[in-house]
Amino acid sequence: MSARHEPIDKLLTGEDGLGRIAGDLEHLPKAFPRRVNADPEQVERGLAQLVLTLVELLRQLMERQALRRIEMDTLTDEQVERMGETFMKLDQRMQELKEHFELEDRDLNINLGPLGNLL
Amino acid sequence: MIHLYGVVEELAELPPAVVGVDEGPLERHRVEGLELIVSRTVERNDVTQAAVLSHANVVEELMARSGAVLPARFGHTFTDEQELAAAVKTKASELARGLKLVRGCLEFGLRALSGDGASQNTPGEPSGRDYMRTRLAEEKARQRLAEELHEPLARLSRASTRFGGASRDLLQAAYLVPRRYVAAFGDEVRRLEAAHADLTIVCTGPWPPYTFAANGEGEA
Amino acid sequence: MSMSEQQTLKHQVTLLELVDRVLNRGVVVSGDITLSVADVDLVYVGLRVLLSSVATLEESRERISATGAGP
Repeated sequence: MSARHEPIDKLLTGEDGLGRIAGDLEHLPKAFPRRVNADPEQVERGLAQLVLTLVELLRQLMERQALRRIEMDTLTDEQVERMGETFMKLDQRMQELKEHFELEDRDLNINLGPLGNLL
Repeated sequence: MIHLYGVVEELAELPPAVVGVDEGPLERHRVEGLELIVSRTVERNDVTQAAVLSHANVVEELMARSGAVLPARFGHTFTDEQELAAAVKTKASELARGLKLVRGCLEFGLRALSGDGASQNTPGEPSGRDYMRTRLAEEKARQRLAEELHEPLARLSRASTRFGGASRDLLQAAYLVPRRYVAAFGDEVRRLEAAHADLTIVCTGPWPPYTFAANGEGEA
Repeated sequence: MSMSEQQTLKHQVTLLELVDRVLNRGVVVSGDITLSVADVDLVYVGLRVLLSSVATLEESRERISATGAGP
């Protein structure tokens, strides 16, 4: 159905590494919300993906900010210790949830656009 | 409905035999001194791959024939000429600025992924402090590396944007490259690729300046 | 990977990049949150987070469901 305007190949470099981003291609059909998928398992996984994506985003924001604080040296050793434990646990918990819902890192990858200034 | 493809400058003639979304013939409209390329479409509330590809095809064709193109984001449909004119009027100065920015430039996209070496191989149960220190060191190394890739490319660009957020990519960016630097940009990408053989560097382009047109529309 | 598979992959990656560019509209999620760990306030999010691409489709889904087609 799309044969008429196949985009021309615009790949400049990275041909050998394409396999590594091939997983991203799974996101492609979702850009075109044509299929309304009523399969409850898919719905659950989709919802989990959305929620975990946001959780992962917030986790990363927090972690980045935490690292910045550590760098600025404004935290006590005890605070850093507790923070580290928390982030470690959070990380483990995320791994478990990802496994449970059969999601991979790239599934939790939102393109946030030029977000640099938010951080 | 009216579908907008973009604002053009110095377009000699409409690309022959190119139709827009839903096979609609292309039309030229002038509002506030800006030339718009549009076509008629049916009302829709979903986005199809075919429609996106048609849109992209028109924008590419316009790129090949004009002095500058500011591509519209897909999904800008207007009910009639008045609505289109009103929308353009309120943004006329931004659009003019956008055209000036992208004039003579092409967009390139870059994604860099770091090697597969799993980072957190800390044996046993590390302390909270060790964990944070390790993460800090990793983050700094990542940032340094991303900067090493980004900086020389940004230097060849009129504008550049780095995408952030939850992305696990080392670097995701778009560059607005003046035509006369396009060859140098390609060389630089290949040099970076060779210098960082452990990374996967995927560079795509040349694209119409989609990313930079959208920036001009928002709060710059 | 065979030649033709590689070719398909190249095509698809280009398509992905294209769609990313053409559909890159924003969805604004708003709300204010302060996130803290170990009683240290880390991030104040005046959550005007601009989610795009993946999230954009959620928006169009919402629009469809608002018109009755419903996911």
